[in-house]
Amino acid sequence: MTMTEQQEGTTHAAFTESEERRELRQAVRRLAGTYGQEYFTRQARSGGKTTDLWLDLGKNGYLGVNIPEQYGGGGGGIGDVAAVCEELAAQGCPMLMMVVSPAICGTVIARFGTEEQKQRWLPGIADGTETMAFAITEPDAGSNSHKITTTARRDGDEWVLSGRKIYISGVDEAKNVLVIARTEDARSGKLKPCLFVVPTDAPGFEFQAIAMEMVSPEKQFTVFIDDVRLPGDALVGHEDAGLVQLFAGLNPERIMAASFATGLARFALDKATAYAKERTVFGDKPIGAHQAIAHPLAESHIEVELARLVTQKASALCDAGDDMGAGEAANMAKYAAGEAACRAVDRAIQTHGGNGATQEYGMAALLVASRVMRIAPVSREMILNFVAMHSLGLPKSY
Amino acid sequence: MNIVVCVKHVPDATADRKFESDNTVDREGVDGLLSELDEYAVEQALQLREKRSDEEISVTALTVGPAKAADAVRKALQMGADKGVHVSDDAIAGSDYLGTSLVLAKAIEKIGSEQKVDLVVFGMASTDASGGVVPAMVAERLGLPQVTLASVIESQGDQVRIKRDGDTATEVIGATLPIVLSVTDQSGEARYPSFKGIMAAKKKPVESYSLSDLGVEASEVGAEAAYSAVEEATARPPRTAGEIVTDEDGSGATALAEFLASKKFI
Repeated sequence: MTMTEQQEGTTHAAFTESEERRELRQAVRRLAGTYGQEYFTRQARSGGKTTDLWLDLGKNGYLGVNIPEQYGGGGGGIGDVAAVCEELAAQGCPMLMMVVSPAICGTVIARFGTEEQKQRWLPGIADGTETMAFAITEPDAGSNSHKITTTARRDGDEWVLSGRKIYISGVDEAKNVLVIARTEDARSGKLKPCLFVVPTDAPGFEFQAIAMEMVSPEKQFTVFIDDVRLPGDALVGHEDAGLVQLFAGLNPERIMAASFATGLARFALDKATAYAKERTVFGDKPIGAHQAIAHPLAESHIEVELARLVTQKASALCDAGDDMGAGEAANMAKYAAGEAACRAVDRAIQTHGGNGATQEYGMAALLVASRVMRIAPVSREMILNFVAMHSLGLPKSY
Repeated sequence: MNIVVCVKHVPDATADRKFESDNTVDREGVDGLLSELDEYAVEQALQLREKRSDEEISVTALTVGPAKAADAVRKALQMGADKGVHVSDDAIAGSDYLGTSLVLAKAIEKIGSEQKVDLVVFGMASTDASGGVVPAMVAERLGLPQVTLASVIESQGDQVRIKRDGDTATEVIGATLPIVLSVTDQSGEARYPSFKGIMAAKKKPVESYSLSDLGVEASEVGAEAAYSAVEEATARPPRTAGEIVTDEDGSGATALAEFLASKKFI
């Protein structure tokens, strides 16, 4: 959203995106449209990958729009990369690795990496040739990231990393994983979070696919890290600023997840409205003429538009450097988008009747992906806790 | 080398296209875009610049049309063209091919007055009027050879060699610059504007010319000067439901064959 077109008086910034942002959306829409849901589900069901699309996005500069120009990116912001993510999903190609590689890892390294680290990792993230996964969730920690137990200890100039991660997206497609671990504070003995770049082919690093019901070529993994030796410069940023660095990646994560969800919702609604305009059962009126069909779709359109608006607000705050302000908006965006996506997909299936459950119409294929958006990357309940505590000042409940 | 690519802003073929009350194409009330066939022309110009990277090659995107036509130039700039020229004048509205080719030729001459134009590239036809004759007319007006409908373009020094695919044979045509070239949709997929390209396009120069800048009289162009006029336009009738042959007793194949024979397909 452009925040530059301030008007006179107490009125607000303009609620339109810049011309360049809209043109970026159009370009991505066109490219993604040449692949489409058919390609995406065909790859998913045949065990294939979406590497062609991924590299095509990279080649055209859409993957790394938020990466600084001097490291091979487009020099744009989170709002730009979120627009790419949304348009991909809106064409039936929801790409989870967009959330992870350019948005989370790209942001963290661009903001906190050393010059050498930026030169080493960012160009490959930007053009898609060195995708980076992100590993935070652990089997025994879940939403409680304070309980993370993956530990890094110093051994001379090197680090030795051990732990276990779960629900890590796209490890098989990634060259490296940005792993959240803890180091032991020399003085207090307390553990503090730190970020390490770990090559997926490092000795002691293993991963196993988790069988998921989601129709996606991008898989989820359990990751086993068993005394993985890393060079000293695998640590991203400062050892003592881990938490700040981690949070810098989490706002983009929520904004991207929200964009993934609103894109998915738009795809489902587009299909449902097209179907409702064509499908005729009683007389010669299409089913879309019946309010029982039209109103739920209209409601969903409103919900999706509201979610997009708060997502754009979060992006604008994030790009303006207001991490705290962006935090609240990004959480709200993720919540609103997840709810809107679930309802939109549910209604799209209902509009399609029996066809909604077929593979041919592709609506049921969206069920798990949309449902996951109420859970990941942070559950709706944790967001409600956050809003209750931080926005409303209510007592902490957990 | 100085290359001019002629690009046209056309109504989006996927949207509802309309005519104005005077039967000219409604260019204001519908979404428009850079004609897809012209994207191939931009692509070939850019590829030529990239292949001959040791030379100083400038690519100018030229369009004629109302205010919205500037979008076609901007798209070409986003793809990588260096600068743009937009000829706009109310008097041009309703021009036929002759009028359009006159304006284009004069604009190319004006561009060439600063630096000689070596190559003019066109798409094979516009996606709205589909005439495909403007490249030849511009070549004639400029006194340049026309090398049209190229599917493969190679160049070295001032020599250009193209392939033109016909129904029964493929011709290989050689020409010496300067020439007017038109390229087909077989010449190679056009690139997407990259994010950097989108951002950079904003800062690239676009010049605006009116008819008087080109020394063209209003009476030479526009609907009044046109040799042809659209008398009437009728919307395409809605698609009717096809005939469904139900095969219950093995007679389906015969019914299908009879249908095809009645339509003289077999």
